[in-house]
Amino acid sequence: MDRVALQAELVAALGADAVLTDPVSLRAYECDGLTGYRVVPACVVLPRDTAQVAAAVRVCARNGVPFVARGAGTGLSGGALPVADGVVISLQRLRAVVSVDPVNRRAVVEPGVTNLDISRAVAAHGLYFAPDPSSQQVCTIGGNVAENSGGAHCLKYGFTVHHIHEIEVVLPDGTVTTLGGPAPHQGGYDLLGAFIGSEGTLGIVTRITVKLLPRPAAVQTLVADFPSVEQAGDTVTAIVAAGIVPAAVEMMDALAIEAVEAAVSAGYSRDTAAALIVELDGPPAEVTAQFAEVERLCHEHGTTKVHVAPTPEARAAVWKGRKAAFAAVGRISPNYFVQDGVVPRTRLAEALTRIGELADEAGLRVANVFHAGDGNLHPLVLYSEARGEHERAEHLSSSIAELCVDLGGSLSGEHGIGTDKACSMPRQYDDADLATMTLLRRAFDPDDVCNPGKLLPTPRLCGERPGPHRPHPLEAAGLIERI
Amino acid sequence: MSTSFDARRPPQREVLDDCVHCGFCLPTCPTYAVTGTETESPRGRIYLMDLAAQGTIGVDEAFGEHIDSCLGCLACVTACPSGVQYDRLIESVRPQVERNVTRSRADRLFRGLVFALFPYPNRLRVAALGGLVYQRSGLRALVRRLGLLDRLPARLRALESLLPPVTVRALLARTPERTRPPGAARLRVGLLAGCAQRVFFGDVNAATVRVLAAEGCDVLVPRDVQCCGALSVHAGREDEGLARARATIEMFERYRLDVVVANVAGCGSTLKEYGALLADDPAWAERAAAFSATVRDVTELLAELTPQAPRHPVAARVAYHDACHLANAQRVREQPRAVLRAIPGLQLQDVAEAELCCGSAGIYNLVQPVTAEELGQRKAANLEAVAPDVVVTANAGCLLQIRRFLDAGIPVLHPVQLVDASIRGCDPV
Amino acid sequence: MPTTRFTPSDVDELRAVLADTTASHPRLLVEGAGTAATTGGRPDPADAVVDTTGLSGVLRYNPADMTVAVRAGTPLTQVQAELAGQRVAFDPARGRRGATVGGLLATADGGPARQQFGVLRDLVIGATVVLADGTVAHSGGHVIKNVAGYDLAKLFHGSLGTLGVVAEVVLRLHPLPRHVVTVAVPGPAEEATRTGTDLLGRGIEPAALEWTPDSGLLVRLEGTEEGVLARAGAVEAVGGTILSDDAQAAAWAGVDAVADPAAPGTTVLRAGTLPSDGPGFVATLAAAAARAGADLAVSSGVGTGVHTVALTGGDHAAVLAAAHAAAGPAVTVLRHDGLDPDAPLWGPPPAAVALLRAVKQRFDPTGRFGAGRLSPWLAPVRDVPATEGVPA
Repeated sequence: MDRVALQAELVAALGADAVLTDPVSLRAYECDGLTGYRVVPACVVLPRDTAQVAAAVRVCARNGVPFVARGAGTGLSGGALPVADGVVISLQRLRAVVSVDPVNRRAVVEPGVTNLDISRAVAAHGLYFAPDPSSQQVCTIGGNVAENSGGAHCLKYGFTVHHIHEIEVVLPDGTVTTLGGPAPHQGGYDLLGAFIGSEGTLGIVTRITVKLLPRPAAVQTLVADFPSVEQAGDTVTAIVAAGIVPAAVEMMDALAIEAVEAAVSAGYSRDTAAALIVELDGPPAEVTAQFAEVERLCHEHGTTKVHVAPTPEARAAVWKGRKAAFAAVGRISPNYFVQDGVVPRTRLAEALTRIGELADEAGLRVANVFHAGDGNLHPLVLYSEARGEHERAEHLSSSIAELCVDLGGSLSGEHGIGTDKACSMPRQYDDADLATMTLLRRAFDPDDVCNPGKLLPTPRLCGERPGPHRPHPLEAAGLIERI
Repeated sequence: MSTSFDARRPPQREVLDDCVHCGFCLPTCPTYAVTGTETESPRGRIYLMDLAAQGTIGVDEAFGEHIDSCLGCLACVTACPSGVQYDRLIESVRPQVERNVTRSRADRLFRGLVFALFPYPNRLRVAALGGLVYQRSGLRALVRRLGLLDRLPARLRALESLLPPVTVRALLARTPERTRPPGAARLRVGLLAGCAQRVFFGDVNAATVRVLAAEGCDVLVPRDVQCCGALSVHAGREDEGLARARATIEMFERYRLDVVVANVAGCGSTLKEYGALLADDPAWAERAAAFSATVRDVTELLAELTPQAPRHPVAARVAYHDACHLANAQRVREQPRAVLRAIPGLQLQDVAEAELCCGSAGIYNLVQPVTAEELGQRKAANLEAVAPDVVVTANAGCLLQIRRFLDAGIPVLHPVQLVDASIRGCDPV
Repeated sequence: MPTTRFTPSDVDELRAVLADTTASHPRLLVEGAGTAATTGGRPDPADAVVDTTGLSGVLRYNPADMTVAVRAGTPLTQVQAELAGQRVAFDPARGRRGATVGGLLATADGGPARQQFGVLRDLVIGATVVLADGTVAHSGGHVIKNVAGYDLAKLFHGSLGTLGVVAEVVLRLHPLPRHVVTVAVPGPAEEATRTGTDLLGRGIEPAALEWTPDSGLLVRLEGTEEGVLARAGAVEAVGGTILSDDAQAAAWAGVDAVADPAAPGTTVLRAGTLPSDGPGFVATLAAAAARAGADLAVSSGVGTGVHTVALTGGDHAAVLAAAHAAAGPAVTVLRHDGLDPDAPLWGPPPAAVALLRAVKQRFDPTGRFGAGRLSPWLAPVRDVPATEGVPA
């Protein structure tokens, strides 16, 4: 459709202040947290409420124009990459905490509220929102719903899908509906569960009833240094085998620690091969008993130093360091890719060894930060654009993702498939799997206007059967560019 | 690669490349909080700078709009895990915009008016006296009653309502050039009297002098009418700012001081920056760096000095507002709090969205009044939520801006005024 | 009952059965152990039964990863028995009668452990389903954390055999608790809700928090011995009594008996409400039951707002109507033995009923599966008011 006519129709529907059309503004929306893919949209709209979101979607649906919902734009899989000639629907003006119900431990929020602001808004009631992705101070709950975000504490508490009661959704035809309900028992298919994690391909969430948890009565956190990543990995296995379900088990290797310390001076040892963060929370007596056991297991597996965070401030410092890790890597390398694969926990050591070998072969450095408790790896492939290492780094990064699938794991633990990994999906799922997933997509979006091209491979983007590491066809066609 | 910037100090490629587009800066950015648009965020602005540096977009009005709208509060610098020096980026890009973007006539006139007025205390004093007449004569009440105010352009309305409730005596008061401590002097300290500061906040300067003297400082206040250049530097008027920097250094050098004290965060941060600003000027680089090394905010100096003057109790709930140019630009957060906590009976309250700018930001509330007003109201609501007896903040702009939006029953003071009241044992208000 | 019965023993056989019989047996009824034969509808006559009980056995148990892959026709009790020091943290009442994992998924069943661990939607990390034309589709996998692709297991949760056949399931496991104690706090529903809310707020972290009129509030605590005893002490302090092992077993058997009663002619329904609305909901149903001359047994998840109600004697339709009026689409009839054959089982459809139909249409376009279940939501009749989404 004619771009000017589309813009005019959106202005008529939403008002001029909600529609961005100038080329400079549009450029700022051409990528999300994954800057390697860039597409300039035809238009960006910033609705203020559900009715405006629905109005924008109806304009798109009526004209067959694709649209992409965008939250804070922190996604690392290109899930909010615009579609050329499409509309970006930014939810950054739906930022109200609508209501808090402390008795029933829930809150109703709009999608642009940040993950951390939910917990801040309910803190006075002793409650919090459990999923805590590393970007929680900036990522929005709408994005969390789209990506089924996890975070460091999902080992014990699960993912976003376990913490949502009800959502209001604008469907791809512009109608508004509700999925879920006040209690976890609802009649019919679990469409709420299917929607969460659908990466913005089934509709746009406009209002969310989140489940809140009481702040745990006790929290204890330790950082244990290990002379090798393998020993740290074995310790994790031992902790879990002992029947302990920690709130979080995180690991960083020497390179990641170097970056974190350069960025925030969180107090990690700079001279250790691996640091294991173990956090237990819950009733005080349980925490005390199990914490002693965790310390014992760390010593049994050869820790060189156990640092127990003595105060909430010290604990916050530990987490600040861990959560800043991705961005902090910018301090030790001009460029990097964040990978997000999952392996069965028992194959962690094997995966790390293989990643080390792959890195050596490529002649590049890989910093490892990961959720050790659930086998979710975040290898950070460090490279220099200036030294022309981009292609090698990209190759290495994809090899790591595929290694994870080969080891019985998954392409993505929490960052999503988005644009980045859509063409790798055939590595994990066969044609019938993907065709069946497409059935679900078409039930919601028969006309393929809602974030098209994401999550599932399409012949147009990926060719008939993509081999690894080909340049993205859009890129080859000059429609998108990489930095 | 062709660039859209001119050759004079364009943003450095290495600094631009530090940004990994993670977005951690977004929630701390006041203009993003208000508009929700990517171009009104540090990440978006850096992205546009990057595109301009590559020549993909021009340095034109559309670009300049997003640079102009930045308050320069630098909360993003504090939040950035990648260590992006946004302060350096914005300070190199603002002059580019000043030089290369043709502003509308109205914009030029208004900016001209502001820069012809604020850095000149004598002109400002005359204007303020006019304002005083306007306030006292009933003209203001009449204007407001007739609804004329609503017909004024937003910028003039902002100027009108920022006028603080001043008295003729305060307006005409002069701070003495030298104040000796009661006993032996511990330090020889120079105080920057400021321009808007000395006109509107002579009482803050007086309190600063009393407190420093009570704490054993020999306090010298240069009489020269000299703006430090902060307003110009923050608005991208580079040549004007650098000239003022040189003159200010020269002025203080005459006094052979141990420490140069600022009690306006915006001025203090610029004094501390002189070294970097004049680094390219071989004749001045060394002098400027040496000068900057001696600069302290008054709360910073008080926190360093072991108190010698006894403190009397001040029983008050106090909400402390972090001035951006103190907390973010100078990274002075703990010292003012420590100085306040040392006052017996004083209860310091935590305020929600503490990192969010109040919307003052130099001349921002004059040139971008709509955004500034929304931020001012938001800040006032957050401050009022803790039911304070007093709100304190260490910056003239913040004092004016918060005063404008805060419940009129809550006094707004500089922290040094509370310390002064505590030392003198009198009511701070 | 149709005479033809297919009993495939693995995914391949199941695929073949479905692919080869599209013409000969267009309408199919999927059946597991038969413990929920009447849940969610009255199946229409079918051309053949697909019996999943042959799809049995544990496929892969990874104790160190705490995952287990099973064929969907495996009884839950059998899965539990093969685990060492671990469990599927899931305790539906009809599990003890041999209910299969696939059947429990398709019926969205659950027990008191829902409080801490949820139900199968929360525990299934991978699934293999077979569609009407024999398409075999997988989603998820063998790792707990995995966001690649849509989660088909969620879609099949509560599908009641209307979308396809669940063939295999991968479950995440939890450690067996070292110590379990139940503390009973006597009192009516309102008081139990207040007490439960208070205990949750104090970080007691109960594994189950269930109220019945007879037992009062049952607080199940799991963990280390010292941790459990410390928490039990806190519950005693609000008027609770620690139950002996026998009394504990009897109390939870009483909760199970509501959801899966032995008596014939019983109607069982399950409904979800806001937790704070629970006591009012129970009172409304009790009043309706009293008027209808029915005996009502109830157990309520105080933290979850999920209530199970069993009716014996009297007129059950009036009580069900009261439940539909109060909890709308969040009411499922687990058993309708005490209802007239033409009594409506489903209440007002959910807002997203059009999506339910669209999903059904895409997955089972020829209507092979489960006709009569989830009816009339899936096959609308004129007199059902649809509250589906309207353009805003």
